[in-house]
Amino acid sequence: MPPTTDFTFPTYHQSYPPFYTLQPNHQTLTSQLRKWSRLIQRYARHHSLFKLSLPATIDSPLFKNVSLKKRLSLQDATKVLDWMCTDEGGRRAEKIVEGGGGGGGGGGAGVYWIWWKRPEEWGEEIVGWVERTGQKGVVLTLYELTAGEGSRGEEFWGMDGEVLRRALAGLVRKGRAQVFGGEGEEGVKFF
Amino acid sequence: MGNTPSSHKISAQDRAILDMKNQRDKLHQYQQRITIVTDRETEIARECLARGDKSKALLALRRKKFQQSLLAKTDAQLQTLEELTSSVEFAQVQKDVMFGLQQGTKVLKQINAEMGGIENVEKLMGENEEARAYQREISEMLGGQMSNQDEDEVEDELEALEGEILGSKAEEAVEFPDAPQKEPVFAGELKAVGQQKARARARAAERAAAQAAEPMFA
Repeated sequence: MPPTTDFTFPTYHQSYPPFYTLQPNHQTLTSQLRKWSRLIQRYARHHSLFKLSLPATIDSPLFKNVSLKKRLSLQDATKVLDWMCTDEGGRRAEKIVEGGGGGGGGGGAGVYWIWWKRPEEWGEEIVGWVERTGQKGVVLTLYELTAGEGSRGEEFWGMDGEVLRRALAGLVRKGRAQVFGGEGEEGVKFF
Repeated sequence: MGNTPSSHKISAQDRAILDMKNQRDKLHQYQQRITIVTDRETEIARECLARGDKSKALLALRRKKFQQSLLAKTDAQLQTLEELTSSVEFAQVQKDVMFGLQQGTKVLKQINAEMGGIENVEKLMGENEEARAYQREISEMLGGQMSNQDEDEVEDELEALEGEILGSKAEEAVEFPDAPQKEPVFAGELKAVGQQKARARARAAERAAAQAAEPMFA
């Protein structure tokens, strides 16, 4: 996805070479992982990225610093993302297993959800918009939620369909919305 | 998700509205596609012209024109569809309003029924009047039981109480002013007398101050 404005990297990303090598000291490592996690979330949010595919993005400016001639290795990037999946990492990432579902999965490269907002947080965001715009009890299509003119400019505009489905599923469980209709043409009604 | 058992909250109307909105979305997507196609045809025409292939450029522009006519048609369709959807949604709102009115009327009727109708209210008011008349009668009867002597005694007591409250002053009918004890002063002299008095006061104060100060030097 093309960036709208330039993303500002933190100073340690721009001028601190050890940042690109995971540190052996446990305390340092935790702090480093936390910084990487925050950076990845911020980067994903800036570019409206929901998925991060590891072998594909390892050479992107996120992991590679041309001026420092440094790059986070694929192995270390995997470690960072796997750490983000843990409770300690705030479950800010989730490995996408082939055939749907989430969680688990051993090492190696893969595709991850980056939860700069978790599905339940997205749900709240959407409910907030629906309430703000007085659309409670109105039938809305999933398409118009993320691609319609009415929600243009909202953070969930252009959102990944799968993330939207999960966000809505959470609301359905709480009885705050109902999803209905056939595959590919679902609608949702908020209560 | 899609195959979640639909709850009772989703009505047949909701499904119909969803169908219309899906149709609208499809038209919307179709328009986006056509817009991209027409842009592409313009590009093609430009490229062909640059190569000097005028007939191909013309063809591309014709295709673009045709696509644009489709776009105008879908615009009209989209408008019709959106109007219909709005009408349906408005009708739903109207239905809700009707339901609200119905409920309100029902409650009002029920309350009126509990009051038992106008005859009942009239009867109640009549009974009320009767009861009050009865009460009045009782009061009169009780009042009538007192003898004239009792009545006189009550009035005497009232007078005595009044006398106590107003005090004995009421009996001394006339009060004379006291005789003057100072010589009369005329208006013209009044100012001078005032000044004299003020000077006398000032002197007295000075003397008092001097007396107070003296022991300090002693």
